[in-house]
Amino acid sequence: MAVFLALSLLAPGAFAQPPASPDIDTLAKEVADKGGLVYGARSENGTWDLFLSRPDGSQRRNITNTPDAEEAAPRFSPNGTRLLYRRMKRGTEINHDKWGFQGELILAGGDGSNPVAFGGEGEYPWASWSPDGRQVVCLFPKGIKVYDLNSNSVTREFARQGIYQQLFWSPDGKWFCGVANNQGESWTVVRVDAASGEVNPARKYQNCTPDWHPDSNHIILSSRPAGQPGARGYGYTQLWMVSGDGAEQQLLYGEDGSHIYGGAFSPDGQYVIFTKGPKDGSGAEEAGAPICIIRTKDTPMITGESVELRKLHPATKSGPVLTLEKGWEPHWAYFLSGEKERRQRKTE
Amino acid sequence: MSTMSTVSTELGILTRFEVLSACLLALLPCVGCGKTAESVPSKVSQVGTTEVTAVLEEVRGEFVNRANYDYAFVMKYKVKAVHRGSVEGDTIYVAHYNPQKARSSAADARVPDIGGNVTRFRPGDVHRIALEAPIDDYYMGGIINRYFDEYKGVIYWAVWTDDAQ
Repeated sequence: MAVFLALSLLAPGAFAQPPASPDIDTLAKEVADKGGLVYGARSENGTWDLFLSRPDGSQRRNITNTPDAEEAAPRFSPNGTRLLYRRMKRGTEINHDKWGFQGELILAGGDGSNPVAFGGEGEYPWASWSPDGRQVVCLFPKGIKVYDLNSNSVTREFARQGIYQQLFWSPDGKWFCGVANNQGESWTVVRVDAASGEVNPARKYQNCTPDWHPDSNHIILSSRPAGQPGARGYGYTQLWMVSGDGAEQQLLYGEDGSHIYGGAFSPDGQYVIFTKGPKDGSGAEEAGAPICIIRTKDTPMITGESVELRKLHPATKSGPVLTLEKGWEPHWAYFLSGEKERRQRKTE
Repeated sequence: MSTMSTVSTELGILTRFEVLSACLLALLPCVGCGKTAESVPSKVSQVGTTEVTAVLEEVRGEFVNRANYDYAFVMKYKVKAVHRGSVEGDTIYVAHYNPQKARSSAADARVPDIGGNVTRFRPGDVHRIALEAPIDDYYMGGIINRYFDEYKGVIYWAVWTDDAQ
């Protein structure tokens, strides 16, 4: 509710960048009142702070504004009323590969209000929300632990199955996904059956930043496929969607010359949000990369000249790409309001 | 020849006592180094729960070239001697962190406690290694294991790796 009120103070589009084309303008208007985004970005005080904005980039405001700390990796709770993120000492370089181990876990209201440290430095690594927002799941060397947030007790513990970062719980509660060592190869995105603990690869070879589609059957992830001639054979990182069992593999978005990271769906799955930068690693160590939004129905999409990528994916669609401020690891929530939210909170 | 002449000329302004003293002083650090090296045992005997001397039997394939990404790489060893703890059989599979780096500079924020004096990994080399196992209890990051299809047993984590030729 607080988030909704905070964003309602200003009309949609109040501080939005001028659209570059009618198509982009249409997309910006389409998403303007669809909840809000939260992301980390460099602020005027020189540190990483968290920002909240409408999905068109309007009503952007700094919700942490802490000159003595670096904040990163915010995630809305599934109903959008709370946030979790990592807070580090000023000057800490956010490592795109290790951020879940860095700093302390902070829990706050969905608008950043009442931030409270949950544990100390390095504790609750890679914490992410349970579907009901009452628990967090964390990733330790000796296993995965689920913590009840009210009692701070471990409610469940099981083997991590080679997962070593970016662990996320599916909206239906039946699965986990994460980046793992699997079948001899690292950087494999895997799916773990929450009931049995069985693990299966969803996409092998050079993948990261997985997140769930709202249907809990598909995973969005970044992938740098082998055999790309670009960047002296290093290749470029693209956005893909795969089924949890790995049977379906589909390019969502790519552009030769750019690395696409931090992919996530809007809560209804109609839109895709990501960051797009020229350097591998998504800019976490610097100032992030521009945040972009596209329609899911416009995928698979390739932009730019992208000669090599278009050869591999000749049947693509086209559509507008709404480009926002620079940021890192954006996340999207549709906020509840009024009676509906009160009812939701009662059930939690 | 000209260098030697220059030195002789410079020495010419010193007394014999000064020259002798300078030579003795120059020798002292070398003597000291030798004693120090013998008296301070390597950390290989102080860290990890298992310590072996083993021949690096195989480095399967090339190390991977992934800028900005750390990883551990599994190598095959033939054990010659077990100094502490125990291992199963005489062939073990050991993962070294960022194997392209010398062990003395491989430690970082993620993996702060590894080291040793091995500068590169070559089949046939003999290493004295302090180990932990299983690797997943001690290291959380990418692992390249090219023996996966043929070996499903324990993978050791190399904590300290010294040359033992």
